[in-house]
Formats: sequence, structure tokens, C-alpha cells
Amino acid sequence: MKDEKSVSLAALAFAIVGFVTPADSASAQSVEQLRDLSIEQLANIEISSVSKSAEPLSDAPAAIYVISHDDIMRSGATTLPEILRMAPNLEVAQLNATSYAISARGFNVGDNASLSNKLLVLVDGRSIYTPLFGGVYWDMQGVPPEDIERIEVISGPGATLYGANAVNGVINIITRKSSDTQGGVLEVGGGNLARTASLQYGGQLAPDLTYRIHAEGSDYSSFQTPEGRDAHDGWSKPSGGFRVDWTPPGDVVSLQGDIFHAQEDPDGSVGGRDLVATWQHQLDGGSSLQLLAYYDKESRFNDNGAGGFEIDTYDIELQHSFNLGSWNAIVWGAGDRLFSYELENTALKLLPPTRTLNLANVFAQDTISVTDRLKLTFGLKIEDEPYTGVEPMPSVRASWKATDSILLWGAISRAVRSATPIDRDLHEFAGPIDYLDGSERFQPEILTSYELGTRVQASSRVSFSVSGFYNIYDDLRTIGLTASNPQGLPLFFNNQAAALVYGVEVWGNYSVADWWRLSAGFNIQHEHIHFQANGGLAGLDFVADDPNHQASLRSSVNLGDGVTWDATLRYVGALHHPALADYGELDMRLGWKVTPTIEVSVAGSNLLHDRHAEFFEDGESDEIPRSFFIDTRWRF
Amino acid sequence: MRSAGPLGLLAVVVVLFAVASGGGAARAADDANALELAVKATFLFKFQPFVTWPAEAFASPAAPFTLCIVGNHPFGPLLDRVVEGQRALDRDVVVRRLATVSPDDHCQVLYVGAADPVSAKQLQAPVAGAPVLTVTDSIGDSDAKGMINFVIADNRVRFEIDDAAARRSGLVISSKLLSLALSVRSSP
Repeated sequence: MKDEKSVSLAALAFAIVGFVTPADSASAQSVEQLRDLSIEQLANIEISSVSKSAEPLSDAPAAIYVISHDDIMRSGATTLPEILRMAPNLEVAQLNATSYAISARGFNVGDNASLSNKLLVLVDGRSIYTPLFGGVYWDMQGVPPEDIERIEVISGPGATLYGANAVNGVINIITRKSSDTQGGVLEVGGGNLARTASLQYGGQLAPDLTYRIHAEGSDYSSFQTPEGRDAHDGWSKPSGGFRVDWTPPGDVVSLQGDIFHAQEDPDGSVGGRDLVATWQHQLDGGSSLQLLAYYDKESRFNDNGAGGFEIDTYDIELQHSFNLGSWNAIVWGAGDRLFSYELENTALKLLPPTRTLNLANVFAQDTISVTDRLKLTFGLKIEDEPYTGVEPMPSVRASWKATDSILLWGAISRAVRSATPIDRDLHEFAGPIDYLDGSERFQPEILTSYELGTRVQASSRVSFSVSGFYNIYDDLRTIGLTASNPQGLPLFFNNQAAALVYGVEVWGNYSVADWWRLSAGFNIQHEHIHFQANGGLAGLDFVADDPNHQASLRSSVNLGDGVTWDATLRYVGALHHPALADYGELDMRLGWKVTPTIEVSVAGSNLLHDRHAEFFEDGESDEIPRSFFIDTRWRF
Repeated sequence: MRSAGPLGLLAVVVVLFAVASGGGAARAADDANALELAVKATFLFKFQPFVTWPAEAFASPAAPFTLCIVGNHPFGPLLDRVVEGQRALDRDVVVRRLATVSPDDHCQVLYVGAADPVSAKQLQAPVAGAPVLTVTDSIGDSDAKGMINFVIADNRVRFEIDDAAARRSGLVISSKLLSLALSVRSSP
């Protein structure tokens, strides 16, 4: 069975890659024909977007993968986690209709209240992990795919610039300026698992003042349990938002807000709203100031009396960039985040149930151009953690552009996963018995990371990236027994594990022809976790459940006449704690621009199996069915 | 056999890149996005009817109209094919590939072959203020852009114009070309 699947996967891979013939890039037009066109006609010639000319090789000394707007639109994905599947340096596993476990470089966890907690996720600078325990509720995040400019996925620590929780990776979601989304878009789509409708309009109030407003609704069907019963996890989510951009000379100002309220079966009522303001000011001599301020409110309640929580977050960040001499590019800044939460009636109790915590930081980073090609970056962020006081997060990075097309980089960094209210103030009850507590002795989890990588533009058609990492973790969270009580209860959180994780991530693009691009990714990692004396109680399941390897292959084809065809094959290795078999799946989308303003597409997801499981949650794994989705989009 | 899946895929990836790097190098001339480059090369020649150069832009009344490329040379033979047998402003047309440029080269159009703003700025610095129409390619940093900066928008080759910089260098860009630009910078 296993062999059959592997073989069929490989066969499919070859079917997709199969006809790799160096197609002549001969386009219909010769230069002589082009020369005879008027300048207006020339400006109106459609060039292929599949093999857009080699992007300038990014100098960033980090394992960074960028998901572009075009990639997002062509994937047909309607939710953020599904879009993130395109990043080869992320682990993305769906738990049920609403929930995902997402991590980079290991430590993926899907158990309730201990979701993967070593990832920082930002939407236009607004942090979206829940400060209660450091994980992201993916059902509470909804940026319309149409409005995403790009997503930068950095695997590896980014704590020096980004701060707490940027331990295993940073996902930086950047939305489009309203000046780039002028006009209207009406989208209606439906399939066996999801129905969506959205309306957006962007307009101009003055030459330097633009806006957009949008509203959308989505409805998702329930999954099934492995026994074939209804999992009762369907949900629906109306949402809306706006963005205003003002660009007077020398300044860039934006204000944006979002609001949503989701109803999740069986009894979940989930809501959120946020308001984000940014101001960038250009100073003399090329230096600039950037100010970011936001408010965010999130709430999750059970309508059936099982309680819930509400969190209000206020954040302000100031950043100043300038050059010192011709050598030094300096960025420094400071920020403060205040969050207050209120828990009501939950089985997981925090004592006190209402609390306000503060997280402050200062940071500075200097990028020194030793030569034109060699750059060294020294950075230090110092955070004042809500529970544990001052934590330094230094890093040293080097990048060397060996030639115009080869970049080599390396980094050594220290990052910290802050202690959260769950780690410190938890009291979890089973009936009347207090059986799991936080501990006031709980300390942050610490990572020391060594990275080495290269990015190569092998030719104008081929580029690839290879990144290796060697990560040493100390003080990982574990569960211990209370020695003074014969039953050992309550169990409590301590820092009794260390880990060594190392691996390699490889990805690349190959423009086979002007109308055909292939993208591939592969990663492999080894995780060794060592529990100390009083720490191994909950075992590995609680700390990490990761595949040793993953691979993906995406093919993007422009068939001409506005027709595009995309196919993505992915393979995820077996999970071990708890064990779950490996799987391979295939997604496809066919898009057709019927007229310049009307686009129709049909997409199929998880086409290889009727149903497959990707992860365990609370000892169960819902199964994800094959799905289809037909979408129409009208621009006006 | 259990791991045939990932190994199979890995093999595919490896084969792919092997084919790609080998094949890619062999086809260097038959460059990536031939159409995009051909459109850009054609633009470089076709800007001239919409620009007025002062007389001192030319070394002599009989001097040819000179298209220069500095930095990377992405066009291969394309640009030569575009200008073959053509005349511009009643002059012969020549294409010159330069390691560095100076005002004495008397280029009327200078294509700056650099993907990063630092190199783009350095390469065009020697002709700052001289009557040379500088053209950069997909540069995002506004101080490093040439008078014309190619951008890809809506899957088409378009451009931005810095009319203020052109005027400072004694060039007059016609309103027709300005109207085709995605954006025009008219105050310094």
C-alpha cells in the first residue's frame, strides 16, 4: 500500500515535470515587428508573468521565502493557512475545519492551549499570536487574498529585529496599498467545503489620498471523524475592513482596520477587531522615521456556558534608520505592548483571571559594508518580559555576494520564547481536582541558533536557495510532579528539557519556458529532545510532532488566451509523537480570464485521496476531504 | 522503499536543477524572458522621438545617435537588431557597451544595467547633470532611479518618468511620453 502510494506520487511528479523540453522562447513577435509598433502599442504588449525577469537577488542574510501576490491569486487558496502551504520552509498541518498547526524548523504542536508557540506572525506590523500562550488562532486571521501584496516567510530566529516569539520563524504579511487596489472587485465562489462572497471598492479622494473598503462572508462545511461521523466543526465568518493611504511629499501615512465575528460549531463564538496606523517620514540625508501604533481586540467564547476570554492589546513601535558614513546602515528603535485579558468560566483557569501585562523593548542594528560585497550585521534587542524581566537577544549575521549571482550568508543568534500567562498562572481542573498548574519559577525557553545558507541565480531561468541550521534549545517547557504530594498532583510546568534540532531547507525556481515555471522545495530535519529528571511526564507529544522531511513541486503554466493552469504536489513525512502516516496530496487550479474584467476558475484540493489526516488534536485527528471550488471574479 | 516518496521527489528536484543549470547555461543567449527584454530594447530606441536633446549632447553635427549600456548587458544582440539600418534624429544609430560612462562618451540614451539601487546609482553618477537620458530597470529606490525607470505593471513593460531630473539635465520630454508613464515626478 505504502509502496503503491510512493510510486504513484513519483509518477505524478514525473507527469507534471514530464515534458521538460527546452521549449524555444520564440515569441510571436520578432524585434523587427516590435519596432514597427507605436509606443502606445509597445506599452500594451502582454509579457509572461510566469517567468518574470530574474528578481534582484535579495541580500537578506536569512532563510527567507517570499510568496508573491501572483502566487497567491494563482493558488486559489482562500484562507491564510492554505496560502502558507506554498512556503517550503513551513510545516502546515490542518487539524479540523477551523484549526491548523503551523511551525518552522520543528516544534509543531496542535494540542489545545499549547499550539505551536515559537513563531511570530505579523500583519502589516500587527502581531497576531495570542499573548495568553504564544500560539496563533488561524481561524481568527483573515486577510482577503486579493489584498495581500506579499508574504515573507523567514525560517529561523528573527528576534533581534522582530522580538519575542520570533524563535523558529517569522511570517510577515504585507497588504497592498489602497492605491494598488483601485476600482471594484466582486467575488463569488462555492464548492463542497467552502462558500465565499466578497465585495471591495478602492477609490481616490485626492491625488495623494486613496482608500479601499471591503466586506466578505465565508462559510465552511464540517469535516468527518475517522469513524465517518460528522465532526461538527463547520463555521461561518462575516468580516470587513478598510484602508486609507495618504502620501504627501516626504511622508507615507496609512490607517487600516478590520472586524469579524465567526460562529463555529458546535458552540464557538469568536470575534476580533483591530485598528493600525503607520507613519513613515523621510528625513534629510536619506534617514527615515517609522511609527506604528495599533489596537487589537480578540475574544473566544463558548455559547454553551463553557466560558471564554477576551484580550485587548495596545502597541506602539518607533524605528529610526540612517546611514553613518558610507559604511554603516543603522536601524534602532523602541516599542511597548500592553495587553490585558479577562477569562470567564473556563476549564483552564488563569489566576488572577484578569490581568494587564507589559512587554517593552529597545533594539539597535548596524549593517557594516566591509566591502561592496561583504556585509556584517550586528544587532541586539533587549526586552523587558512581563514575567521574567530583561532578556537580551543578540545576533551576528554576515552576507557575502561572491558574484552578482551568488550570495553566501551565515548567522548566529539567540532568541527567546517568553513566559506566558499559561506557563505561569494556569490552574487546570479535572472536575474538582486541580491537576495542572503554571509555575512562578517557569523561565523563558531559549534558542541558540547557527545558520549557513546560499542563494544562487544560476541563470536567468534558474534560481535556488539552500539553508542549513543547527539549533540548540534550553529550558523547554515540560510537565513535572509535585514532590510533596503522594499523588504528585497538581502537575506543574517546568523547564526540564533541552533539544538539538538540525536540518536543511532547499527550494528553487526553474522557468522552463516563458509560459511555464516550476518551483520545488525540500526540507529534512532531525529533532533530538532530552528530558531531565522531573520533566518527561507528558512526553514528546506535548513538545513537538514534526515530519523529518517534506517536499513540494509546483507547476505554473500560462496556456494563452488568459488561461492559467497551476498544480502543486506536496509530500509530508510521517509524524512520530503521536504517530501518523506520511501522505502526499495534489492541488490544481485552472483559471480563465474570460474578458479583462471577468475571471472564472475551478480548483481542486487534496485530489489524491477521499480523505486524509494531517495531525492529531487531543488524541483525535479529523480527516480532510477532497474538495472542489469554483470561483468568479468581476472587476469594475 | 518506504521513503521512495520523498526520495523520488528529491530525485525529481535534483534532475530538474541539473537539467536547468546545464540547459540554462547552454541557452544563455536565448535569454529568460525574451519578450520582456525585446520590448525593453525596443523602448530604448523608441523613446528618442519624444525627447529633445540640446545641441551640446552630440560631439558634432555629424555624430551618430548613441545608445549606451553600462553595467550588466541583458539584451545580447537584441538591441543591435532593433537599431539595425535605422536612423534617429537624422543621424546614424550606434550601440555602445561601456564598463563605465563619462560625459565625453556623448551617449544620448544610457541604459543602466543594475538590479540593486546602490550599483544603479553608482553607474549613472558620472553623467549626472549631463544631457543623457538615463534609463534604469525596475529600481525601487527613488534616488537611484533614472529619468526613465522600467517597471512591470499588469504584465506589461511600463515606465516611470522623473521629469524634474530630465529638465535639470537640459532634456525636454514630450507630454505624449509623459502621458504614457505610470507616474511622473515633476518637482525635485
